[in-house]
Amino acid sequence: MTVADVSLDRLVDWLTRFRALVTENQGYLTELDSAIGDADHGSNMARGMNAVIDKLGEPQTVDALFKTVGMTLVSSVGGASGPLYGTFFLRIGTTAGAVDSLDGATLSAGLRAGFEGVISRGKAEPGDKTMVDAMGPALDALDASLGSGSDPAAAAAAAFEAAQRGRDATEPLVARKGRASYLGERSAGHLDPGATSTAFLFQALAEALA
Amino acid sequence: MIGIVVVSHSPALADAAVALALEMVAGAPPPIAVAAGAGEGVIGTDAIAVAAAIDEVASPDGVLVFMDLGSAVLSASMALEFTATDAEVRLSDAPFVEGVVAGIVLAAAGASLADAAREASSAMTAKNAQLESAPPADPQTAAPVVDGSVTAEAEATIVNDVGLHARPASVIVAKMAEFDARVRIADADDPTRSAPAGSLLALMGLGLGKGTRLRISGTGPDAAAAVEWVRAMTADGYGE
Repeated sequence: MTVADVSLDRLVDWLTRFRALVTENQGYLTELDSAIGDADHGSNMARGMNAVIDKLGEPQTVDALFKTVGMTLVSSVGGASGPLYGTFFLRIGTTAGAVDSLDGATLSAGLRAGFEGVISRGKAEPGDKTMVDAMGPALDALDASLGSGSDPAAAAAAAFEAAQRGRDATEPLVARKGRASYLGERSAGHLDPGATSTAFLFQALAEALA
Repeated sequence: MIGIVVVSHSPALADAAVALALEMVAGAPPPIAVAAGAGEGVIGTDAIAVAAAIDEVASPDGVLVFMDLGSAVLSASMALEFTATDAEVRLSDAPFVEGVVAGIVLAAAGASLADAAREASSAMTAKNAQLESAPPADPQTAAPVVDGSVTAEAEATIVNDVGLHARPASVIVAKMAEFDARVRIADADDPTRSAPAGSLLALMGLGLGKGTRLRISGTGPDAAAAVEWVRAMTADGYGE
C-alpha cells in the first residue's frame, strides 16, 4: 500500500521502527563507535529512543509529537547525537506546525529543516565522516523522487537507498568532526556510527511509509 | 556577581574543577551550577539540565558557561534555546579546568561578564607562556613596556607567605578594571617574568613567591594611581 498523506500514526510508526532498529543494532553501533569514538553510540541511541517511545503518549499534532521526541532525545541520549538528533526532530516539528498529517512537500520541508538544524548545531560539512554524509544524500534523493512525481513511500525508499550509500561512503573518510577526529588518519577504514544510525532512521521511514 | 555554569560529561570531573576553583576564593563564591552527566550514572551531557543550570544562576550580571568537550559544547549551545532567563549568557571557549578556575575566581572578585569571559579565553596563552612552548599571541601579554612609554613605576616586595597566588591576583585584576591604565607586574630581578596586571591567569602563571621584588609599571591617564595601588597592596601582603 502506498499513501499520499503521511498520518500521525505513520510518523509514530517511523519512530517506533527506528527505536527497534537502534535497539536491535545497539551492539553493532557501539562496536563501530568503539573503533573510532567513545563506544557509546548504540547504548546512547537505544536509551534515547526507548525514552522517546515511553514518553510519546497520544500526540494530536505533528509539532507536538516531534517536540516530545526532540526534547526527550536532548535530555536522555547523553552524547553528541542527543543535541543533533534532538535538533533534527525539533526542527521537523516547528516546520510542520500544528497539523495532523504531512504530504510529500511538507515531509520534505520538515526533514530539510531538520537537516539544516543538524548542520548548524554540529558545524559538520559533507565529507567530515558524520551523520551529515548519510542524511544529505538521503534528502537529495527524497526530493528528486518527489520531484519526479513519486509518492512519499517511494521517495522514502529512495532516501533509504541513498542513506546506505552515504553511510558506506564514510568508511574511507578521515573524520574531521566529533570524537573520531582525534584519531586523524586512523579513523579511516571504519564506518561512521552516526551515519550508520542515520541510515537506520531512513530505513525506518521507508518501512513506515511503505 | 555573574553566575557560573559548569558543563561536563562527568559529575566527578565538574565537582572537582569547582572545588579546585573554590580553594582560591576568599570571600563569597559566585552562584555556581553544575550540569554534568546524563542522569542515572551515564557519562554524557543533557541540554535540558544545562538550561536549568543557567536559569538557576542567572542574574542581570550575566552567566558564563564552561564546557568540557564534544557533546558538552553541543548541549550548551542547544540549552540557549531552552533557557527562561533574559540575562546575557556566554559560552566560554576556554579549556575546561583553566576556564572554571578563572571564571569562578574572577566572578567572586566582581568581574564583569565580558572581563571574565575574555580572561578565561586567554587561558591557553598563559599556559603556553608558562611552558615557553609558543610565541605569546597577545601583544599585551608579549610586549615588554617600552621605557619611554612608562608613565608610572614603583617597586614592592612580596611579603605574604604564599606569594602572588590566585586570590591576590584576582583582587588585582578586579581593581585594575577601575583604572584607565595598562599596568604590568614584573619580577624586578628577572624582567622576562612579566604579565599584565589585568590578566589573572598570566599573573598566576608567573608564580611569584614570597620575597620576590616586583617592578610595577603603567601607562595611561590613571597609571600613577593604579601603580601605587598595586605597590601598596603588595607591601601590605595583599591583606593576608
